[in-house]
Amino acid sequence: MRAVFSAIVQFLRVVTATPIGRVAMGICVACALLALFAPWVAPFDPTLKHYDSAGKLLRIADPSFKHWLGTTSLGRDVFSQMIWGVRPAMLVGLVVAFGSAVIGANIGLLAGYFGGRSDNLLMRFTDIVMGVPFLPFVIVMLSVFGKDLGSLMLAMTLIMWRASARIVRAQVLSLKQMPFVAAARITGASDLAILYREIAPNIVPLAMVNMAFALAWAITTEASIGFLGFGDPNVISWGSIIYDAFASQAMYRAPWWVAPPGVAIMVLVSAVYLVGREYERVINPRLAGP
Amino acid sequence: MLEAIRLCKTYHSPAGFVLARNRAAPVLAVRDASFSVAPGKVLGIIGQSGSGKSTLGRLLVGLEPASSGQVKIDGQDAAALLAADRKAFYRRVQMVFQDPYGSINPQHDVLETVTRPLRYQGESGDARLRQRAIEMLDRVGLRPAQRYLETHPHRLSGGQRQRLCIARAIIMEPRYLVADEPISMLDVSIKWDIIRLLKRLVNEQALALVYITHDLATVRTLCDEVAIMLAGEIVEFGPVDTVLDAPRHAYTQALIAACPSADPARRGAPERAARA
Amino acid sequence: MIGFILRRLWFMAITLFVMASVMFLLFRLLPGDPTATVISSALHPDAQAALRASFGLDKPLWQQYLSYVANMARLDFGFSFQTSRPVAEMVGGRLLNTLVLLLPSLLAAYLVGALIGAFIAWRRGGFLDTVSVVLATALQSAPVFWIGMMAILFFSLKLDLFPVGHIITPGREMAPGLAGYFDADVLHHLALPFLVTFSYQLCFPLLLMRTSMLSTIGEDFIDLARMKGLSERKVLLRHAMRNALLPLATTLPMLLGWAVAGSVVIETVFSWPGLGQLMVSAVERNDYPVVQACFLLSAFLTVMGTFVADLLYGLLDPRIVYE
Repeated sequence: MRAVFSAIVQFLRVVTATPIGRVAMGICVACALLALFAPWVAPFDPTLKHYDSAGKLLRIADPSFKHWLGTTSLGRDVFSQMIWGVRPAMLVGLVVAFGSAVIGANIGLLAGYFGGRSDNLLMRFTDIVMGVPFLPFVIVMLSVFGKDLGSLMLAMTLIMWRASARIVRAQVLSLKQMPFVAAARITGASDLAILYREIAPNIVPLAMVNMAFALAWAITTEASIGFLGFGDPNVISWGSIIYDAFASQAMYRAPWWVAPPGVAIMVLVSAVYLVGREYERVINPRLAGP
Repeated sequence: MLEAIRLCKTYHSPAGFVLARNRAAPVLAVRDASFSVAPGKVLGIIGQSGSGKSTLGRLLVGLEPASSGQVKIDGQDAAALLAADRKAFYRRVQMVFQDPYGSINPQHDVLETVTRPLRYQGESGDARLRQRAIEMLDRVGLRPAQRYLETHPHRLSGGQRQRLCIARAIIMEPRYLVADEPISMLDVSIKWDIIRLLKRLVNEQALALVYITHDLATVRTLCDEVAIMLAGEIVEFGPVDTVLDAPRHAYTQALIAACPSADPARRGAPERAARA
Repeated sequence: MIGFILRRLWFMAITLFVMASVMFLLFRLLPGDPTATVISSALHPDAQAALRASFGLDKPLWQQYLSYVANMARLDFGFSFQTSRPVAEMVGGRLLNTLVLLLPSLLAAYLVGALIGAFIAWRRGGFLDTVSVVLATALQSAPVFWIGMMAILFFSLKLDLFPVGHIITPGREMAPGLAGYFDADVLHHLALPFLVTFSYQLCFPLLLMRTSMLSTIGEDFIDLARMKGLSERKVLLRHAMRNALLPLATTLPMLLGWAVAGSVVIETVFSWPGLGQLMVSAVERNDYPVVQACFLLSAFLTVMGTFVADLLYGLLDPRIVYE
């Protein structure tokens, strides 16, 4: 697994080479840290209801010094909810991105290297999974298995590996032809050894690019699920904040409630996407142009 | 002794559809090749692109199964040896490839590249493997070896890479080596260094070398015997001087005639290299 | 070519069959009574028993599976728990509503996005380039439902240009069939969701085309076309774009998948009565037959769209020969 480590180092070096890359990576790291330290950064408990001086519930209050982004229809501090909302975004995003990248890479490796029947079978299976509409499938899974983060992560991972598998397989097909694979074969190495010690290290950068884009997509989907009201009821996510706003019918009176989650998603997803693109640009010389 | 006995390799195109409009004829890449190489001797296999010489090389090394015929190593059937114990087979037979850029895994540094074969064979012990690597690098002329160990192949020149490939091949201490156009992708000035290296290794280690090439100029220096290949068949075979000075087959004659020479009087005959 | 089409259609059928089978299994994994997916638990137990018998739910699983498959093939999706009406009836009109929103916006987004992307790449650099790349990246990263909400906030509520959701002014009835959409009121309601979806989907083809063009422009055959004396516009359109379009054609199926997913949330934001919105409300009510039907129809749209996209790609790239 030395290859993975060196790939990560190379990734960091490449991504922080350009100013755009540095800013984007900075945002990602900041969000990751925010997710870890949310309970200490947020001024209030996000589920805590606030009351005004008269004892009345502080519904949909305008932004003030105490509540930077105002309050929800249940008197909760929006800013604290925003901070806590990073957690499910990062957790679901990273778990799903990593899981689907690993599954997709392995399927691509096996299909591409061994070819023939197994390749055919794996690719036909991938084609079927390609035909599954992603969000509807996740919704169905949640309605069957319950609306918790675990089911969400499982449902997403079950589908998201499909793009990665094809891309990795394509690269494996061309790597297979390279003389160093033949050179490895004439040392008496077994097929699996060649696959995972010669070929796999060469697809790690590509798998990481896939993972970056998968992360962007996963964060968006997690937000969509939250927005539809299918998120984990015990978890506050950016999507669920928008859902609360939407469901209360009061959102159009309170732009401070509705706008920030969307902006947050936009910023984080852009950052992830840009990181992925910066990295892809370097490891994939095919893409010309600025 | 490495023997090839009536080796044949036929490629069939993938099955076409019922209409069979696109069913191409099978390709006879190697037809009825027979020869032998003794330890300490070099056999040159000369031919143009598509003559089947690379395929022949792959057959000898077991990278591809022959359609018919046999390869014998020290009197034993190579296919049987391979099936019985792959690792043991590859301690006796090794190969150097044509492309010094593609035949090294870009993820590995020099130390890794040279010692990989031993690791695949099941050997371990970082210090010991490192020592072996230094020995090999030294023997192929990559000196001082220590300096090269942590270098990455992409920093090396073509010639250095090919030396590295040779080091990787001989670290297994094989008795038989097949070199498939080892110098065709190298600069002219480097070619002779590699040829001399191969010659030295053959002499020092009593290697039996099969040298596959399309370049007549290097053949006389390196080879003891040569086989001329045309469209999969060996059309002429014999000691190198005999074949090159007195070619009998029309194709061999044409090959030699096409070979450039500085002395107009000797036009047509590949000279002995100035630095032999 | 015919062979290709037949084989793809056959594969599509298999794909949908597999998905329907997975649906069958999934819904029977529900904790509790597996028949809860076919018979509403809100009914009286005697009614449930009667329905159970009439639906053949007391028969062994494999027999249920066979009749399920037969029903699917006949497009019989069962009865809705909520309305007790055949699901197929509910879903039909909805499908059209979804398509009316999805297809024009996708096509328009692709065309306009490709043109703008090509144009930007042709101009190569400058303020316009930077601004459009930044805008497109940002817009693509924002969640489409949030964009919808912001659009409603600004254009409908503040500027009062468009109505807030739904397909028609409440109280009015839509004419049946395709003709119903050519009504000024309906179009007025369609406008904002269309614009939002269009703008959102515009970004990907734009950025992709720009990248593709930039690499195509660098190639020799473009210089050759210029040297032949062709006008800039001809070189741009006939030679550069034609080749730069290829990556867009290969990614059309992917974008279609995004569009189907996007329609779920967009319809929810705009209360647009399409498949997506129906699916969401059905899940909230545990109306499983409807959920299943919506899913399978979305799958059908996705698979069909992919097939059409592949055909188009074959037409576009002369190097591809479909056997």
